[in-house]
Amino acid sequence: MKRLRLIPLLWLVASFVTLFSFFSWATPADDSLIIYSGRSDKFVKPVIEQFTRETGIKVILHTGKSTALLNKLRIEGGKTEADLFLSNDAGNLQRGSDWGLFRNIKADLLKPIDQAYRAEDNSWVGLSARARVLVVNTKGPMANKLTSVFDLADPALKGKLGITNSTNGSYIAGVTVYMLAVGKQKTLQWLQGMKDNVDGKVFNKHSKIVKAVARGKLQAGLVNHYYIYRHLDKHPNAPIAIVMPDQAKDGMGVAWNVAGIAITKNTRKAALAEKLVAFLISETGQKQFAEVNREYPTRIGVNASADIPAANSYRVADVPMSALGKERDATLDLIEQVGMP
Amino acid sequence: MAAFFPTSFSRSISGSGRRFISLGGLAAAVVLLAAMPLLYVVYSSLQLSVDQWFQLWSSRLPELLWNTLSLAVLVAIGCVCLGVSSAWWIARREFPGRRLATWLMILPLTVPTYVFAHIYTTLLEEDGWLGQLWITLFGNDNSPPDLYNIWGVTLILSLAGFSYVFLLARTALSQPIRSLEEAAQIQGASAFEVFWRINLPLLRPAIAAGLAVVVLHVLSDFGAVSMLQYQTFTLAIFQQMEGRYDHQAAAGLSLILVMLSLTFLVLERFFRSRQRYHSARHSRHMLVRKATRVETCLIWFWLGLITLFAFGLPLAWMLSWSWQAWSQDLINAQFWGYAGNSLMVAVIAASIAVVVAFPVAFYNARKRTAGSQALLQFSSVGFVLPGPVIALGILSFLLAQLPFLYGGLGALLIAVVIRFLPLAVQSQDAAMAQLTPSLEQAGRSLGAGPFENLRRVILPMIRGGMATAWVLVFIDTLKELPATLILRPTGFDTLPVRIWIEASEEMLELAAPAALMLVIGTLPVLWIMMHGHTAKTDQQ
Repeated sequence: MKRLRLIPLLWLVASFVTLFSFFSWATPADDSLIIYSGRSDKFVKPVIEQFTRETGIKVILHTGKSTALLNKLRIEGGKTEADLFLSNDAGNLQRGSDWGLFRNIKADLLKPIDQAYRAEDNSWVGLSARARVLVVNTKGPMANKLTSVFDLADPALKGKLGITNSTNGSYIAGVTVYMLAVGKQKTLQWLQGMKDNVDGKVFNKHSKIVKAVARGKLQAGLVNHYYIYRHLDKHPNAPIAIVMPDQAKDGMGVAWNVAGIAITKNTRKAALAEKLVAFLISETGQKQFAEVNREYPTRIGVNASADIPAANSYRVADVPMSALGKERDATLDLIEQVGMP
Repeated sequence: MAAFFPTSFSRSISGSGRRFISLGGLAAAVVLLAAMPLLYVVYSSLQLSVDQWFQLWSSRLPELLWNTLSLAVLVAIGCVCLGVSSAWWIARREFPGRRLATWLMILPLTVPTYVFAHIYTTLLEEDGWLGQLWITLFGNDNSPPDLYNIWGVTLILSLAGFSYVFLLARTALSQPIRSLEEAAQIQGASAFEVFWRINLPLLRPAIAAGLAVVVLHVLSDFGAVSMLQYQTFTLAIFQQMEGRYDHQAAAGLSLILVMLSLTFLVLERFFRSRQRYHSARHSRHMLVRKATRVETCLIWFWLGLITLFAFGLPLAWMLSWSWQAWSQDLINAQFWGYAGNSLMVAVIAASIAVVVAFPVAFYNARKRTAGSQALLQFSSVGFVLPGPVIALGILSFLLAQLPFLYGGLGALLIAVVIRFLPLAVQSQDAAMAQLTPSLEQAGRSLGAGPFENLRRVILPMIRGGMATAWVLVFIDTLKELPATLILRPTGFDTLPVRIWIEASEEMLELAAPAALMLVIGTLPVLWIMMHGHTAKTDQQ
C-alpha cells in the first residue's frame, strides 16, 4: 500500500517556506543609508527626499520610538544595519553616546552648530530644538497670572492643570532641566504640587492638553511650543496663548530639548552618513527640518518660523543637552519618589 | 489504551517504538523553542541581586499585582456577560438574521485592542461623536467619561475579547444534553433554574476555555494598556525596558507575570479536565426553538447593542476617516505595501504555527500522561510573556547563537509563532479530544498503516480544529504589534506598525485605513472558520 507521508510533507513545505522567507527580505543596496528614526515620518520624509534628490543617495527610514530603537541598536551591536540614529530627544542620544554606540563626527563639520546643542565629543548633533512652554486659556482666571513653570503647583490650578503622563520623553527632559536649574528639593515640591493639582488625571498626548485648555476645561498646561501652533492652525480663534516661562531676572529660563542625529559606530557607510548629516545641518536642510514642525534650527544664523517667538527673544535655561541623558535616571527616581501618574 | 498507542504507531515502521519516541522528541523540540524567551527571562532575572528583588517587590509589585488581577477579573466578567448571553440566544433560538448575528458577534475579533482604545478615546473627546452626544444629553458641565482608568480598560478589553467566549460557549450550547434539561423541567425547575443548575455547569468547561484565552490576552495586552496608561505588568515591564533601559528588572517582572499566568493555566486545566467527564456522551437532539416575536425583538435589541459598541462604532469611525484619507489621496502604493507585508507575515506564521503545534497536541492526545500535559502547558509560555519581552529574548538569542538568521523575516516569524503557538496547540488539542483509540483501531484493522491512518482518519477528524488554529493565529498575527515593532526587518512596516506610528502622531486619517484593512483582511479567514464550523455541525 502506498503511504502518503503527509506530516513529513507538511514539515517539508513549512520549512521550505520558512527558509525562503528568512532570506527573501532583500538586504538593502550598498549605496543606500538606513536610519533608525524615532521621529514621525511626516517630519523627516520631506527633508530626506530632498537629500535623495540632490545626492542620489537612497535612504530607508526604520521608524519607531526613540527609546525602543536605541535598545535595538544596543542589542544588535556590531550586527546592526543602521547607519544613523535619529532621535526625538537629546537624552537618548547622550545615552547611546555613553554606551559607545556612535562614532564621532568631524568637528569642523559641526562647527556651525552651537556647542550647547551637540555632544561634547561630537558623537551626536542636535538638529532642531523645541521649547517647553505653558499654554494658558486667555479667557480664564489664570490668563495673566502664570509666569513660571513652578506656578503650575499653585493650588489655584486644582483640577485645571494639564500635564502628560510621566513616561513622556519631553516631560522627563523638562523635569531634568528644572532639577538641574533649581535643585532636587524645589523640583520635588513642585512635582508634588502638580500631582495634587491633576488628581490622577494626566494626558497621553500634548495635543489633548492644548485642546482641553482651548475648550476652557483646563486653565493651563505644560507642553512643547509647536502643539499650540498646531492647534491654532485648525482653530485660529481658539482662546489660548503661549507663555514663555521663567523669564524674570532671577528665573531659570525656558527648558529646551533637541531632536538630533548620530552616526552608528558600526556603519560601513560612514562617508555617506556624514554626507547626510552635512545636509541636515546645512542651511537648506536646517530650514526644512525645523520648519515642518515649527521648531528652532540649531544652526547659528538660521531663523525659525515667523509664527513662533524668535529664539533670541527669550532666555533659555543654561543646561547642556547632554545632561538630559546623564541625569535621566536621577530624574526618573525623583518622579517615582513623588509617584507622579 | 496507553499500551495500544505506542505499539500501533511504531510497529509498522520499525517495530521498535522509535517512531513514537521521535514524536515525543519533536514535541519536546517545539516546546523548547517556545520556551526560549522564558530561558532568557530566567537568565536575565538571575542577574538581579537580592536587594534589587526586594526593591522591586516593595515598590511596584503590590500595585501591579492588584491592577493586573483586578483587571483580569473584571474583563473576565465582562466577557462572560457579553459572550454567554449572546451565545445562548444564538444557539438556542431560531430567529431572523441568526447567521448574521453569529457574524456580528465574532467581527470584533478583527479590531486590535490598541485600535479600540484609540477609537474610543477619540470618540469620547468633547468633539468626538460620543462626547458630543454626552454633552447634548447631560449638558456642557458634565465632561464625557474618561477611559484612562480600570473601567475604561475593562470596557475596551471586554469589547475586544468577548468573542472568544462567545465562540466556545456557542459550540458548547449547540450540543445540549437535552435529557438533563427535560429531567430538570419535569422536576419543576424554572427556566432560570435549568440554566443556572444544568446549562451553566455544563458550560463551565467552555467558559473556562474561552476565559483562558481572554485572561491570557489581558495579561499580555500591550496595546490598550499603553494607550490608556493603565499600569499592568506588561506596561510596567515595557516601561522598565524603554524608560530606564533596565532589562533585568523587566525580566524580573516578567518572571512574576509568567508564574501568575502559569498558575492561572493550571487552574483552567483543572476546570477543563472535568469536561470530558461531563459531556462525554451527548444526545444528538438540537434544541433550537423558534423565537417568539417579543423574543426576537429582545434578542436583536441586545445583540444590536453589543454590535453597536463592539463593531458598529469602530467601523463607522474607520470608514469616515478612511474616506478622508481616500479623498486626500493618502492611500498609495506604499499603503498597499504595508498591507501586503502584514498578510505575508500572518499567512506564513499561521502555517508554521499549525504545523509545529501538531506534534505537541498529537503527542498529548496519544499519551495523556503528566509529561505530555506538561509539554502542552509549557508551549503556552509564549502567550503569557509580553510581546516586547519575547522580542528581546529572541533578539538576544539569535544574535548570540544564530546570527545568520538575523536581519530577515526569520526573527519576526519565530517571535510571532512562539507568541501564538498556544492558540494553535489548544485548538488542535481540543479537536483531538474526540479521537478515541477505537477509531484508530478500526483503521488499523482495515489494514491502514500509521500514515494512512493519520491521513484518512485523524487529520480529517481534526481538520476543523486545525482550521480554527490557523485562523486564530492568523488573526492575532495580523494584529500583532509589540514584537513586530522590535523585530521587523529594516524598513519593513506592517499595518499595525503604521497604525501605531500614525496614531502616536495623531494622524487619524492614516491610522484609519490601515485599521480598516485589518478588518477586511480578516473577513475571508473568519468565513473559512465559520464555514468549517457550520459544515461540521450540519454533518452531525
